[in-house]
Amino acid sequence: MTDSTQTSALMKEGRFVRFLSSSAGRATIAFVLVMLLGLIFNADGAFFKLGMHRDALRQASVFGILAVGMTVVIITGGIDLSVGSILAVSAVLFSILTLHLDWPAWISILSCIIVGAGLGAISGTLIAVTKLQPFIATLAMMTFGRGVAKYITGGQKISTYLTNSDGEVIIKELPRIFKVIDSRIMGGNIAIVSIIFLFCLLITWLFLAKHKWGRELFSIGGNEESARLSGVPVKWTKFLAYTVSGIMCAIAGIAQAAQETQGDPEAGGGYELTAIAMVVIGGTNMAGGRGGMGLTLIGILTIGYLEKILSINAVPESGRLLITGVIIVLAVLTQRKNRN
Amino acid sequence: MRKSRIVTVFMLISIMFTSLLFANGQSEESTTADKLFTIGMSQCNLGEPWRVQMNADVKSEADKYDNIKVIYKDAQNDTLKQRSHVEEFVSAEVDLLIISPKEAQPLTGPVSAAMAAGIPVIVLDRAVIGDDYTQFIGADNVIIGKAAGEWVVETFGGKGAKVVELMGLQTSPPGQDRHNGFREAIKGSDVEVIFEADVKWLEPNARKEMESALSRFDDIDLVYGHNDPAAHGAYLAAKAAGREGDIQFIGIDALPHEGVAYVKDGILNATFQYPTGGNIAIQQALKILAGETVEKNITLGSRLFTTDNVDTGGVELK
Repeated sequence: MTDSTQTSALMKEGRFVRFLSSSAGRATIAFVLVMLLGLIFNADGAFFKLGMHRDALRQASVFGILAVGMTVVIITGGIDLSVGSILAVSAVLFSILTLHLDWPAWISILSCIIVGAGLGAISGTLIAVTKLQPFIATLAMMTFGRGVAKYITGGQKISTYLTNSDGEVIIKELPRIFKVIDSRIMGGNIAIVSIIFLFCLLITWLFLAKHKWGRELFSIGGNEESARLSGVPVKWTKFLAYTVSGIMCAIAGIAQAAQETQGDPEAGGGYELTAIAMVVIGGTNMAGGRGGMGLTLIGILTIGYLEKILSINAVPESGRLLITGVIIVLAVLTQRKNRN
Repeated sequence: MRKSRIVTVFMLISIMFTSLLFANGQSEESTTADKLFTIGMSQCNLGEPWRVQMNADVKSEADKYDNIKVIYKDAQNDTLKQRSHVEEFVSAEVDLLIISPKEAQPLTGPVSAAMAAGIPVIVLDRAVIGDDYTQFIGADNVIIGKAAGEWVVETFGGKGAKVVELMGLQTSPPGQDRHNGFREAIKGSDVEVIFEADVKWLEPNARKEMESALSRFDDIDLVYGHNDPAAHGAYLAAKAAGREGDIQFIGIDALPHEGVAYVKDGILNATFQYPTGGNIAIQQALKILAGETVEKNITLGSRLFTTDNVDTGGVELK
């Protein structure tokens, strides 16, 4: 095949080529392709403005946080469909606690994280202990979580506008924590939500790379039976994976609420699919055992930038869906290892 | 493992029963009346705040009367589920049916069947095909979109305006009508739409698209959101860029705790009400139940809320 002769010819060029044929290299190719798209369709130079890149990163942040948790779960060979719903529970809970009940910010944040972790832990228990398939357990949690979000809000958005018993609308002051999370630092060039996202990514990355738990996740994804035989606490490790995903959802929900200045029980619908696409485009294997947080970072940037480029060019909805579908296939195809 | 499965099943069953305890909050009990009328209210999707408001309007009007009891059903945006809801109301022999259908075609048959069973039907907001119903109540999105366009032309009178249009789902009739009405009104004027995007009614999308518009255009005079959340999302984007002072924001729907509150708060410059008709439906239902003949079609009027008139309850359009 011309493909293999090309590859062997390129091999002589050394390290650069070795990088390109690694997983990270392949993921980078997809990202570079998307950036090229941006250079060509730059929307009258809008693509070259710093603000555009800041916004692209900020917009990708909520999805990015979800994708971090999703990566952990996918490495074990599982999937988490409930991320969007848990995000909504956290967003409305955060809004109720801070906007309506005037709880201090840190207690509210902590409560949301505990609830998110709890919902993730329920999925984890169903999967690790009760041996439900991850797809089914998290599908149930996706439905259940949406129900929780709607139940505690009565189906209404939780905002600074409260209706009192006479039907009059009172406008409350937006708590400081909302403004803090939705602000920017470093001369207005980095959004706080982006920092939160990068922080979540970095911590999880460190755990995956350095901690025993990280190695155990990979070994479960590779072969669960042999992992169990070699003494890996399979149940506990899996349980933790879904709990971590739940925590990430809670953090993403807080970031979402702060940016919307309200808690919307419908928030996060369909976000699970974007998060999965980000993980897969990065090159983490859906079957488990292979992948990593660095790859997911590239996947997040690829999808994030793609959406932004389509948006600044005001591409109609139909075109966006077509192009996104094609890019996902192209990206995953470049990911595929030579099988000969 | 078997034991844990039994425990889980037991837990799930107990969750089910506890949640059923909450279920009876659905219906309205009333007492002290000679003849108690039962009204079935079939709502197509309570996932939308505007439809939550419609049910709230039905409820607050119905609460004023002792002799009616309303039973609510939410089809969760599922046509077939709504069809079975209508059939359930018919077999429960309600005295009157109010339906806000998801789609015209598939729900025309069930509505006719209710009529054939002798149950009067009020169709709210979206129509059914033909005229086999008692009364239709709804507002006209083309007229409201047009009013928004006329307001922009008037406000910027002669100076011209560069407009960003953040559209509702363009495969849905309300989104199309609000778009077409607006474009019709600004045709031939010096108001120009420089950026448009389908944000599918969703606020996070609106913020995203507005950021793109801001990074592309240094000169934007007004944002027209097809609903108030879209305009609000655009405002948040402009505020983050420090440009909210240069841009006017207008939206549609004017829910009390949403659009109207945004205008009061100085976020939106104007919002055009898209009335739910929930209260009118109950008033008309009482007439029908009393045996009066009613108009076949009621087109609801709209109200305009601006910074100047929001404290006095807005003004009627037309």
